[in-house]
Amino acid sequence: MTSLVSARNVSKSFGALHAVDDVSFDIEKGRIMGLIGPNGAGKTTLLKAMLGLTDCQGSLSVLGLDPFRQRRELMQNICFIADVAVLPRWIRVDQLLDFLESVHPRFSRSRAEELLAKTDINSKSKVRQLSKGMVTQLHLSIITAIDAKLLVLDEPTIGLDIIFRKEFYGNLLNDYFDGERTIIITTHQVEEIENLLTDVMFINHGKVVLDAKMDDIPERYVELLTSGDNAAKAQQFSPIYEREVFGKKVFTFEGVDRDQLTGLGELRTPDIADLFVAKVKGGSA
Amino acid sequence: MIRNQIALLRREFWEHRAIFFVPVIVAVLMVLTSLTGQVSIGQMEHVDIGILGATNMPDNARSAALSGLMIAVSSTFVFAMWILTIFYSLDSLYAERKDRSILFWRSIPCSDFETVLSKLLTAMFVIPLVTFIIIAATHLFVLLNVTIWVDLRGGSVWHLIWSAAPFVDNWTATLVFLLALPLWLSPFIGWFLFVSAFTKRSPLLMAALPIVMLPLLEKILFDSAVFAETFFVRSVKMPLFVGLDNMEILFQEGDEFARLAEAKLSLMSLMDLGGFLSDPQLWLGIIVCGLFTAAAIYVRRYRDES
Repeated sequence: MTSLVSARNVSKSFGALHAVDDVSFDIEKGRIMGLIGPNGAGKTTLLKAMLGLTDCQGSLSVLGLDPFRQRRELMQNICFIADVAVLPRWIRVDQLLDFLESVHPRFSRSRAEELLAKTDINSKSKVRQLSKGMVTQLHLSIITAIDAKLLVLDEPTIGLDIIFRKEFYGNLLNDYFDGERTIIITTHQVEEIENLLTDVMFINHGKVVLDAKMDDIPERYVELLTSGDNAAKAQQFSPIYEREVFGKKVFTFEGVDRDQLTGLGELRTPDIADLFVAKVKGGSA
Repeated sequence: MIRNQIALLRREFWEHRAIFFVPVIVAVLMVLTSLTGQVSIGQMEHVDIGILGATNMPDNARSAALSGLMIAVSSTFVFAMWILTIFYSLDSLYAERKDRSILFWRSIPCSDFETVLSKLLTAMFVIPLVTFIIIAATHLFVLLNVTIWVDLRGGSVWHLIWSAAPFVDNWTATLVFLLALPLWLSPFIGWFLFVSAFTKRSPLLMAALPIVMLPLLEKILFDSAVFAETFFVRSVKMPLFVGLDNMEILFQEGDEFARLAEAKLSLMSLMDLGGFLSDPQLWLGIIVCGLFTAAAIYVRRYRDES
């Protein structure tokens, strides 16, 4: 069984609001899955359910465990960064390492120290004395030093400048990801992680609107840049979304053969951000 | 489980440095006060006579006087310790939610039960033990200070102070008292932990409100005082000492003091530990504390913090 996360008809409601609405999906081992959705789409609720931080209906299994009822066992094999600001501000870096060494069976202190040696972080510094970027470096370093099967990142780079963001994802790939581990990541800055992902899942109004391997995207989706009569012809292939760029029309098609569109204009594979807009806005239109 | 608990207790000690600093500050103040002579000689005339080297004072009275001095020192710490315990308990599950670090703490393999337990153990045992160690050290400093004073006046410090001070009895009794107090007051500690776990703002106010309002409402609506008496008795009447009120012993003077002096030679003999531990009120309190703590664990576990 290679399915690390398995969700069947998972729902979570807050009163009348269906934050997660009858969602089913699988995440396989060794993948980097991007979970993308507008604010309030249910991403964080879904992540919380996977982390055992909130209960939900339906059947959800993470690493073969029920996340809510077996959270303690689960946490030995999962790491998560909720966002950059959650390391306790009063703790000293060496105290953090001491603590993790005592409570986390899979934490390697020497690995963490090795990673921290590459940064400007002093082991006697308190978290509150570090810049936001350094706190993220610290958090990623300790998490990289935990031999966990699944890493969940919820907006890990929010509020960081571009240099730290690039460095964060660079380190994530170089130090953390080894093809065995699995990463689930949510972010608003889709463009920055696009090349990192092996899988992508769009979520809107609590529903999964797209669940695909990145390699399959070019086959399933195509974007046509055109104008005039060709635009009218393109309409016949029922695009899922259309927009205007510099007076030209851009159509997004799903499941339409590229050969059929050849000659109508410029064809290309939509990037994730455009595809996201197409699926979310097109779906609600 | 035990390894986790030790790590979690260390964590409390790192986070809440007041556990250490509050008694240390009290200790420094006590030593300074002792240096200026206010506590050790200025105010307590009986001690004064003993220390002046008056041989007319019987040995047991001198021992009692020294024990009285030690109690005077300890009682200041007891007050500070209870204030510290209140603030610690109220902050323990609130601070992590306020700075959102709860998301980090919940990402490590420690259960909510283990975490809340570490907070309860800190309030019930760690704070009293740390306070005790610092009290004992303060006793030694204060007595050392008195020693210098006596020595300068040609008194026999061994005879008058070090062989006279009932260290074993006084320290045992102090430790028993420091550990018994949070047990007796445990329903309050449980309540504070629960408030700390659920309140969105101002835990102190939220915790104090029912303690003040319930007796008041009861008085207005039913003209009875069940709540008021329960809270009051719980607050001041710990059934650990027999025959003597634990406050009374500190403040008597004159003949009454002389009578108490004899008794005070052995603080342990004034305590009825068996009676205390078999008092149903104590166990009722511990059950209430357990229920509040369970509620705190439940809230930490089930509340969605988003």
